[in-house]
Amino acid sequence: MSTKEFVMGNEAIALAAKEAGVSVVAGYPGTPASEIIDASLSHGIYAEWSTNEKHAFEVATGASLCNQRAMAVMKHNGTNVVTDFLMHVNFTGVRGGLVLISADDPGGNSSQNEEDTRILIHNYAHLPVFDPSSIQEAKEMTKKAFELSEQTELVFALRPVMRICHARGIVEKEDVTYQKKPVEFKNDRSRFVMSAVVEKEHGGVLRPIIRHRWLNQKQNELKEIMENLPFNHIEKADGEVGYVGCGIGYSYLKEAESILDKKLPVLKLTTLPLPEKKVIEFVSNYKKIVIFEELEPVVENLIKGICYDKGIQVEILGRKTFLPAEGELSTGLILKAIESAEANKAMPKEAQSTYIPARVRTQCVGCSHRGLLYALKSVVRRTGAVVTGDIGCHDAGSFQPMNLQSTIYCMGSSIPMAYGIKAGGYEKPVIAMIGDSTFFHNGLTGLASAIFNKANITVIIADNSTTAMTGFQPHPGSETNVRGEQFQAIDPASVAAVMGAKTYICNPYNVEETKKLLAEVVKEEGVKVVIARALCYLKFSREGRVSFEARKVTVDHEVCNGCKICVSDFGCPAITIVDGKARIDQDSCNGCGVCVSVCARGAMK
Amino acid sequence: MRSLRICMCEGGNEIMKLDIVIAGVGGQGNILASEVLAQCAMDKGYNVLSTETKGAAQRGGSVVSHLRISDSDIYAPLVPVGQADILLGFEPLEAMRNAKLLNSKGKFIINQEPVQTVLSNMGADVYPPLSELEAAVKAVCPHGYFVNATQAAKELGSTLLTNVIMLGAFSKVTDIFTPEVILAKLLSLVNEKFHEDDKAAFAAGQKLV
Repeated sequence: MSTKEFVMGNEAIALAAKEAGVSVVAGYPGTPASEIIDASLSHGIYAEWSTNEKHAFEVATGASLCNQRAMAVMKHNGTNVVTDFLMHVNFTGVRGGLVLISADDPGGNSSQNEEDTRILIHNYAHLPVFDPSSIQEAKEMTKKAFELSEQTELVFALRPVMRICHARGIVEKEDVTYQKKPVEFKNDRSRFVMSAVVEKEHGGVLRPIIRHRWLNQKQNELKEIMENLPFNHIEKADGEVGYVGCGIGYSYLKEAESILDKKLPVLKLTTLPLPEKKVIEFVSNYKKIVIFEELEPVVENLIKGICYDKGIQVEILGRKTFLPAEGELSTGLILKAIESAEANKAMPKEAQSTYIPARVRTQCVGCSHRGLLYALKSVVRRTGAVVTGDIGCHDAGSFQPMNLQSTIYCMGSSIPMAYGIKAGGYEKPVIAMIGDSTFFHNGLTGLASAIFNKANITVIIADNSTTAMTGFQPHPGSETNVRGEQFQAIDPASVAAVMGAKTYICNPYNVEETKKLLAEVVKEEGVKVVIARALCYLKFSREGRVSFEARKVTVDHEVCNGCKICVSDFGCPAITIVDGKARIDQDSCNGCGVCVSVCARGAMK
Repeated sequence: MRSLRICMCEGGNEIMKLDIVIAGVGGQGNILASEVLAQCAMDKGYNVLSTETKGAAQRGGSVVSHLRISDSDIYAPLVPVGQADILLGFEPLEAMRNAKLLNSKGKFIINQEPVQTVLSNMGADVYPPLSELEAAVKAVCPHGYFVNATQAAKELGSTLLTNVIMLGAFSKVTDIFTPEVILAKLLSLVNEKFHEDDKAAFAAGQKLV
């Protein structure tokens, strides 16, 4: 029986996992994929936040090896972290259906970069990828991926983009018909032990080559499968230009058709490898083909390859030369592309838009990071220190008004980069700033490396007991896991101390104490770890727990001289300057009182 | 007042299509408003597709909800430039930022109360004067209302009621759902202790346009 439900794309994927009889779902938080774990849990599936994406994928693979269906969930940056494991599991194959959800964020709306993980998963690891064009299709593809993964023994990937994951639409809910297989772990060391071993029965060829051959031979089987899937099809219409819509690109193309009120010849391609026969059947009819895909010219290059191999002469336009090579597609862009392609013209240049004052990311009102950043800023000013940054709410300290972190790359890079700057000969202090969840994700090994190499840096762990930026997911330093189970939280301070770092703890709501501590610590030799510990206000205040004594803060307008330090240097959004004097918006102020120590004149009370 | 866009398709049947954009700042209750309207549309058996765009998931950033309602197929979750039938601006600068989405025959309701940005607060950016914001919107679409929903909310005791006031105003510019239906759906989604305040705010919103 099927019923209709209005759900988020991520919920549709979790629903598919339920209907496909999945036993284990593991992931690490990252917009736009984060909601899949909680939604899976709500369906009674074992779900977990692993400490990083690589471990999530390894957990899911473990479950697959005992014949259970499993899913690993992450955003594109996580798929980068997974690459090492991916390049082995592609060779070994799997047992129970294993699906990797690799959510891409074209346009980098909620990411530090934009990238196309189809390249990693398909072009590099030679694994099949589904690129859904709608929420309903994301659900159907996820279910089909489990079935096909079991059939082919290969990992299947779903690559939903932001506009799939974070869109809400109507999906068909169906009954669970899959019968879970009995749990069984069967040894097959010739597959699951990846090593440079000579294979006797293959005439002494090394195992990596045998497994690589196996993966290569799978490609023909995959192409045949893709040929017959309902996700790829041809829509016939009159015209000299053929249009290829990939994933969400297909949806924008359909939207453009309805605005133009005109049927166009369309090939919908949402699988990798491509259904070669369909591609040839379609492209042979046209002089010109325009391909719409997010983000890189993956399908474009593959179609060009097919045409070259088959000697088909056709002009192929896509993101390589015709469309913008960066950013999201849109209906507007596709309308312009259709007009230009039909008129044999180049795409019109994007007009430079006028600047509308931006809302840069900042810390919430009442966030402890603001106190920490402010204290750190005073130390940096006095010592000429360089601060390397990491991913998390605190990274907004790299923008105005803090202008503090000099680098932001990827999870865990702050610590090795910091001591690399020292190794390069920088004489003034270098400070790495990292969050608690990130510390467990990929900071631990960097810290070990720093200690091992006798580095001379200060590491600040902004410890707010949650993964706040992505929606307050728990991590090994929290008190409970996602399933609500209590466990002995791993204390970053104890870990760092055991590893051999000098450790210090401060409450960042106390700016003076934090400032004093940091000023002392940066002068010391060796690897020093300062844990700036205060509960995330946004999460824990709902439970009645905060790390400051709340008070009503007011401005004494007799004392305030309008120096604006509280907005230009500190930047709490609850403070504005009205008629030359600071004013606190009592509706948004939550009385953390940090601004009291920021105001040198003592006007904040 | 009817602002539904009706287009004729091949068979001569009318297609109902309503694209709504709600632009505001994090914490203004933008997503709840979108949810209320989406559910009203679901109840009426319409096809619904929505999405929201926000910077990294924190307070104070721009938040835009796109809500597309139709009795026919809807493909893309984002309302294309120039296609929005209704723009609800919870904050004037955010309304300006998204004005290009409006159809020239569409309609806007824009709250006039500015929320300063971090940079405008510092003096690093200039928050445009209201007259400039209003002119920028009117250059795209001349039909609509500038209201002070935040002020009305303050008078009722809390700025948190701004989104409900905006929903009340919305109920007056389209007849896709009756005001009663929208209010009932809103109340079904919020805690009962807020019901009296929400009813008052909804009624206040209806009077603003």
